[in-house]
Amino acid sequence: MLIQENLSIEEKLRILTDGAKYDVACTSSGVGRAGKDGSLGNSRIDGLCHSFAPDGRCISLLKILYTNQCIHDCRYCINRRSNDTVRTAFTPEEVCRLTMEFYRRNYIEGLFLSSGILDTPDYTMEQLYRTLYLLRREYHFNGYIHVKAIPGADPALIERVGFLADRMSVNLELPTAEGLKKLAPGKTREKILRPMRQIQIGIARQMEREGLLERKGAVLPDAVKKALGTAGTALAPGAPEPPRPRVLQGRSIYGNYGLGRVSNRKEYFVPAGQSTQMIVGATPESDYHMITVAEALYQNFGLKRVFYSAFVRVNEDSQLPDLPGGPPLLREHRLYQADWLLRYYGFTASELLSEARPNFNVFLDPKCDWALQNLGQFPVEVNRASYAMLLRVPGIGTKSAMRIVAARKQAALRFEDLKKIGVVLKRALYFITCSGRMMYPIRMSEDSIAARLIGEERRKSLDLEQSGLYRQMSMFDDFHMERA
Amino acid sequence: MVVFVCEDSFEGILCGVYDAWTSRLGHKNVKLAVDGQYDLEMFADYRDTAVSEEKAQKVALAVRTKISEHAYAWIYRASLSFEPQKADCIYRFLIFGFHIGAEVIRALQIPAVQEVFRLNRSVGNESHLLTEFLRFSELPQKLLLAVIGPKNDVTALLMPHFSDRLRGERFIIFDEKREKAAVHRSGTEWYMMTGAEAARLHELARQTDSSEYAVLWKAFFDSVGIQERTNYVCQRGHLPLRFRPYMTEFQQGGRSRSDAVNDDGVMTG
Repeated sequence: MLIQENLSIEEKLRILTDGAKYDVACTSSGVGRAGKDGSLGNSRIDGLCHSFAPDGRCISLLKILYTNQCIHDCRYCINRRSNDTVRTAFTPEEVCRLTMEFYRRNYIEGLFLSSGILDTPDYTMEQLYRTLYLLRREYHFNGYIHVKAIPGADPALIERVGFLADRMSVNLELPTAEGLKKLAPGKTREKILRPMRQIQIGIARQMEREGLLERKGAVLPDAVKKALGTAGTALAPGAPEPPRPRVLQGRSIYGNYGLGRVSNRKEYFVPAGQSTQMIVGATPESDYHMITVAEALYQNFGLKRVFYSAFVRVNEDSQLPDLPGGPPLLREHRLYQADWLLRYYGFTASELLSEARPNFNVFLDPKCDWALQNLGQFPVEVNRASYAMLLRVPGIGTKSAMRIVAARKQAALRFEDLKKIGVVLKRALYFITCSGRMMYPIRMSEDSIAARLIGEERRKSLDLEQSGLYRQMSMFDDFHMERA
Repeated sequence: MVVFVCEDSFEGILCGVYDAWTSRLGHKNVKLAVDGQYDLEMFADYRDTAVSEEKAQKVALAVRTKISEHAYAWIYRASLSFEPQKADCIYRFLIFGFHIGAEVIRALQIPAVQEVFRLNRSVGNESHLLTEFLRFSELPQKLLLAVIGPKNDVTALLMPHFSDRLRGERFIIFDEKREKAAVHRSGTEWYMMTGAEAARLHELARQTDSSEYAVLWKAFFDSVGIQERTNYVCQRGHLPLRFRPYMTEFQQGGRSRSDAVNDDGVMTG
């Protein structure tokens, strides 16, 4: 290992940014906190993206590693022990100075601090703690801080870090325990899930103290209920628990594991909740497998977000898949679309995919795909359908569904109105009626709607690659072969 | 048709609304236009509206009590838009507002409401984007200066955010297109600066950030993108080209606003 001692801060910043950039999460949302006299910074509940890198990903936080030295030898990771790269580390003061000065100039929304494992997990976590302590208490930084919890570190340390950070995350890395064993020999599933559970219980306990458990609709699994001691809710004894998950306007189905708006006078434990990330395409798991894992994480671990990261082959290793077409970006995109459907649209993983159909359609987004598979539920009447049903219409999102629900109280809506309200009519028109009429006569068949949604040109390649996806072949039908 | 020509400011438009309404000519026969931003029409009678505190206050109070604070915020933001028809849009919106009441902001099926909704949204969106994309540079006199060139007049909308966030800092946000600046000294207090005083800031804006942090930021920006995922179209969708000349990471050397971005939108350097 090549450890460089006297690098300039610019060189260090380049190296340690390079090491951190494969981490996806760059959100600064989830906590709203006003500014404080004598401190620098505040935090917006919806988060701010300060710039966009040439790869189109947002830059919200100063995303750096504390050090790129690591005891692990994970095959997918650029900082693996056996890689012959220049190793270096920041000092806590350097991190603080960079954060403060970047923040003042409105370059960033806060700090995202991750790290390779230096010597032991405990020692690394302690370094992160020292850095955050310095930043919060000495430099009086009041902006957003996202920090990694190091699996295997002392729970007491994680607890202390949690009171300084806004969001914490533990990376799941790979969706299955076998995959993890194969590609990340130093890590185990249990070791990763333990801090995740600890953070979840910490957040739930605090929400209970603040009386927010019921209002935020958090789903509490049994393990958390047991840890909280009480029934785990603020409900009166005997009152039936409302059915979960619930579809509420603009809210996550799984409830909100976090504090949201916080005051400057109290200390909070991870008020913006926790997140995790999974690598897509490094191991042979299907999309169905990925979203089932994500769904389980939302239900059982109260995560705010699960991030998906298309696998980028940075190391030469026989265990890693060869990706001649570059990282699986479309697959990642489809997973994110499905993730939103899970959290905000009331879909379940088993509705979107199944063992028999384990991967997402390349040509259609998951919602259109679902609608085509379930044409029996359409068309829906915009002026009457429930909010939950409106959400299931392709081309209608949470915002336009909320606007429709508000506007239709005053007058029956027409197609022109829907367009102004923000509905994407080119997708929605196949699935809705306004006052009993469709926009124009449409044949309600999977085949013809799919052709229109995709567009004739792409339809051709669909026919070639996935023929029979939408239609049962039969000897006596006219397939318009000359057209396709 | 009588066209009431009002000053391009929130007060000016409110006074225009007052004059047009109290002229009792009928809503169909009046129109509002913003001074200097309208085309002359034949067979129209043009009347200038004088700005007075009293008229503006009356209209503002009526909107806030008879419609809602929310609607008041809508028309305030709409009045900051760059679109010349904004005054008339606000007038048409208020006709429905005084008729329907607080519910008017939900009645998106009415074209007049849609228009103000749209103006409000586009001004709100631009001010949101600028809270993200605005960049301060530090001048030798320990002063932070941000230069912006927005489509809409959003400087005042940015200030509550930045004065809360940067409480202890002295900073100026300077709109170089409108020669208008917002100045913050300390605490959460701030004031607007216009006219010759603000025009002098062009001079100050030419000075560059002497500090090393602009260089460090560029170093960070250069290395944080993943090569294998390069996607300029996606970047352009999120971060429109018009913001880039003002942003540190897209500037080369000094503050040169013209050559930071080349023709096909691919950033250089």
